[in-house]
Amino acid sequence: MNFLATYQSLFDHMLVNMLLAMSQYIVLRAGVFSLGTAGFTALGAYGSAILITKAGWPPAFAIVFGVALGTLASALLALPLARLRGVFQAVATLAFVQIVLSGTQNWQSLTNGALGISGIPHSVGTGTLVLIGALVVGLTVSLGRYSFGRALDVIREDETVAVSLGISVPWHQRRAFIISGALAGLAGGLHASSSYSIMPTDYGFALMVATLAMVVLGGRTTVWGAIVGAIVLTALPELFRVFAQYRNVVQGLLLMLVIVYLPRGVADTLIAMARDRRLRGALNPSQWTNEEFPHDEERSRHHYQRRRPAARGDHRSAASADPRELPAPRHSRSHGRVGRHLR
Amino acid sequence: MLMQQVINGIVVGSVYGLFALGFTLLFGINHIMNMAHGSVFMWGAFAGLYAVIALDAPIYVALLAGMLAGGLISVVLDFVAFRPLRRRNSPEFSAIVSSIGADLVLLAIAQKVSNTAILRFPFDAFPVVIFTVLGLRIQLLQLVIIGLVVVMVFSLVWYLYRTGSGQRIRAVAYSEQTSRLLGINPGPVNMQVFFISGALAGMAGVLIGLVFNSVHFTMGEPLLLRAFVIIIIGGLGSIPGALIAGMLIGIVQTLSVAYIGSGVAEAIVFLSLFIVIVLRPTGLFGQTTAAMRVQRA
Repeated sequence: MNFLATYQSLFDHMLVNMLLAMSQYIVLRAGVFSLGTAGFTALGAYGSAILITKAGWPPAFAIVFGVALGTLASALLALPLARLRGVFQAVATLAFVQIVLSGTQNWQSLTNGALGISGIPHSVGTGTLVLIGALVVGLTVSLGRYSFGRALDVIREDETVAVSLGISVPWHQRRAFIISGALAGLAGGLHASSSYSIMPTDYGFALMVATLAMVVLGGRTTVWGAIVGAIVLTALPELFRVFAQYRNVVQGLLLMLVIVYLPRGVADTLIAMARDRRLRGALNPSQWTNEEFPHDEERSRHHYQRRRPAARGDHRSAASADPRELPAPRHSRSHGRVGRHLR
Repeated sequence: MLMQQVINGIVVGSVYGLFALGFTLLFGINHIMNMAHGSVFMWGAFAGLYAVIALDAPIYVALLAGMLAGGLISVVLDFVAFRPLRRRNSPEFSAIVSSIGADLVLLAIAQKVSNTAILRFPFDAFPVVIFTVLGLRIQLLQLVIIGLVVVMVFSLVWYLYRTGSGQRIRAVAYSEQTSRLLGINPGPVNMQVFFISGALAGMAGVLIGLVFNSVHFTMGEPLLLRAFVIIIIGGLGSIPGALIAGMLIGIVQTLSVAYIGSGVAEAIVFLSLFIVIVLRPTGLFGQTTAAMRVQRA
């Protein structure tokens, strides 16, 4: 129990950061180079904090309002953003963050300026955060697994191919951007109501860098990358308190090392390695066993047939035979190419 | 009074232009956004300041020290943060992330060195001479700054368009692949570009440090953000664009600080970026849309 009490705030922080990382992940996956997450988070946090402290709204409604604010802002921003590419998108979203920041700093009557808003009742507990986090992860995973996610992957890899496949690039990117805004707004609202005070500096350049760092560290093509990045980068400074002074140095070096040596991020590299291993196992004749689908004779046979349909002359006899007793395949050209590609 | 503010704006804006020039040079030639450029600027200011304080050097030595420090740090950045990525032909996203990492490291070191204090140039570092022309007060420092910026810009243009090295730089900017075929080694060329860009930033650092008489480890960040605005308005990779947009932003900023308020000034600067980016994404002097179709992560 003592352990829980000590690390509870860290854990809460981690969950909020996970939402932020998710928000950043979804736009990067769509190939939109947005740095706007910090701005949407500020909107969500300030919107809900002001409603709770000044208008006396119940926290749940205030957070919903924060989400709506983030969604609205990202929907509006998506219109001009659709005309821009790469670096220009980064700079435009950066400008948006700066405008929001100077709004929070200078609209004294509403936001208390540089002092920020304090005395926000602590209304969101760890349980709620876990629940919301699980819900969002579930939604994002399922969203990414079906046609939407595949369309995003194609767009990120090559827009021309996406267009030739009949995928509407602006449509998908706009939706990804709006989802990102909604998630950031949610994270902002939760951040405001799980900490006692918020300040404009909470949502500046530092947050932008941190969010980007989480996704880069973890990996930006799978949800797990965002989650791993958020967990590692939130926990790291706490675990290495000795290095508290050198926190930025450590974070900076980490960013550089990861992008140079592990450009896909930790989690994505591991996932790719596992997939690679599995495929290689399936393609390497000496390892042809039923391991992959051990309990499903039908599927396992089907699997092998699909992998090398041209290698066998009579596919009906191959289908009826036990795959383990098949003669080793000829090293056909296509086979060699696939193998080389994997290596 | 208005004219006075405009003159102040031009002086600050020309330094912004100098800073943005190096930034836009890197973009035009290496196609990278160097997010650590603000830190190079800040380190230039630190080098100039320490030259004055510790070595008791005259101000022109401080300027040279700032340029040298900026240039060297920039070259080191190239080797550490950009070269490994260039070799692998990574998308621009990677370069931005790794330069953010380098930026964090440089900032943290500066914070440690300066103890988070705001440092000042000694009072007599630059003689305070004020001329009065037609009722306008013009400082010697302001004249020197404008003169320096003019000299720097003309020598840069001369270097790029009238010398062999400049020709090589432009060839590499056009296409690294093609220049390799023509027998140009892109390595030293990139090193030169990084040095020039860093030296310009270092000089801008010392000048801004003198103008506002304060050197602080966070001084690079607002300037970097402003440089984004400047190079987008001026057109990515355009030298005249960077200068003119720098002046414009300087004037807009001083005028809005003087007449509306310092908080709103920031918002106005970024709103103007937004308007330009929406109406004319290639900027005032942007030549093609080629830069828009950059590779993505």
